[in-house]
Amino acid sequence: MNELQRSMSEIKASEELKADTLRFLADQSRAERARSRFYMPACAMAVLCLFLLLGTGGYSLYGRPVSYVSIDVNPSIELGINRWGRVVSANAYNADGQQILKQVKLKNLPYAKAVRMLLEYETAENFLTENSLLVFTVISENAEAIAGKLTGLSSPLSSSVLMYTSDRACMEEAHRHEMSFGKYRAYLELSEYDGSVTLEDCHGMTMGEIQTRIEGCRGHGGGGSPYPEEDSREHCGGHRGHGGHHRGMMESN
Amino acid sequence: MKSTEDVNRVVEEYADMVRRICFMHLKNRHDTEDVFQNVYLKYMLYQGSFESSQHEKAWFIRVTINACTDWLRNLSYRKWLPLEIVAEECGTKDSSSGEILEAVLQLPEKYRNVIYLFYYEGYSAVEIAEILGRKENTIYTWLSRAKKILREQLGGEWT
Repeated sequence: MNELQRSMSEIKASEELKADTLRFLADQSRAERARSRFYMPACAMAVLCLFLLLGTGGYSLYGRPVSYVSIDVNPSIELGINRWGRVVSANAYNADGQQILKQVKLKNLPYAKAVRMLLEYETAENFLTENSLLVFTVISENAEAIAGKLTGLSSPLSSSVLMYTSDRACMEEAHRHEMSFGKYRAYLELSEYDGSVTLEDCHGMTMGEIQTRIEGCRGHGGGGSPYPEEDSREHCGGHRGHGGHHRGMMESN
Repeated sequence: MKSTEDVNRVVEEYADMVRRICFMHLKNRHDTEDVFQNVYLKYMLYQGSFESSQHEKAWFIRVTINACTDWLRNLSYRKWLPLEIVAEECGTKDSSSGEILEAVLQLPEKYRNVIYLFYYEGYSAVEIAEILGRKENTIYTWLSRAKKILREQLGGEWT
């Protein structure tokens, strides 16, 4: 035994210290097991809840439309667009529209791409010709930006294009009559000039036909319409656009 | 978590060594006991396994030294050592043993560790380097300097 070993030989752990330590460790062990028993299921449950919340919350946010575009020629189709500019709903309001939506899948696409595909299909299937009138009606807090993008998409078309804005109240009213809000707005405009026109009449008319009648009424005094031709009056909260590349550019009031 | 059997075994096997290392660093019974228990708690919660008993012993040495260093860092502990504590811990009637212990306890921490591991536990410089995570040459240097300090303080009593 060297000198250091001799000097430290008496430094030992007492039996009391060992016993205290074993008691302390037993207590800690019990506490640790209790923590595991409590925390494992609690953590699993918390993670599960988080996943559910994020999953359902995220999906619900993604699936909620914040803007709507009604695309009316004869086919009447409405697109719901979420806050990220993706199409989350596509509904047809006549037989032509339903036929198109069976062929063209628009959901989850960026709305500009979806509209372009729709217009290409309508052109290829002769729904959209050089004699057609294409009417976009937009409901959005960001209607001008959407309308600007849609105008760009429709500019290569040989047909006439009109752009309007509308609002949710008008859309709900239109849906009660099983009509797209774009066509419903046109019906309201026509009914102001011609009190004899009915929703059923408009259901069977193309947008071009409705617009021709509106312009015909205007030409003949419009049944006493008080409005000038290039007005921006409201139809169910909507605002008419006028002029533009073809026939229409939106004018927001 | 380690089993009760494992815990009982290591308490029996390493308690004196852990106690000595704690005392070398902390120089105080209460702190020593707290760190002593913390070291065993670390062992009980340690998820890894040991390749051999040497590996296990080296783990205890390293963990005890680190636990003491952390404890001192947290407390900004006093650097001086009351003589009565040395006498109490030494428990011998031989005054030279008390002097040696006191001199060792007053060495800087790094020298204290190498002196203890070299002279008390009988580790080689290579093994000490591995336990403390230092270069072998550093351990030789520390050992040499520590011995020089002890020689200066204890004269011929220290070789």
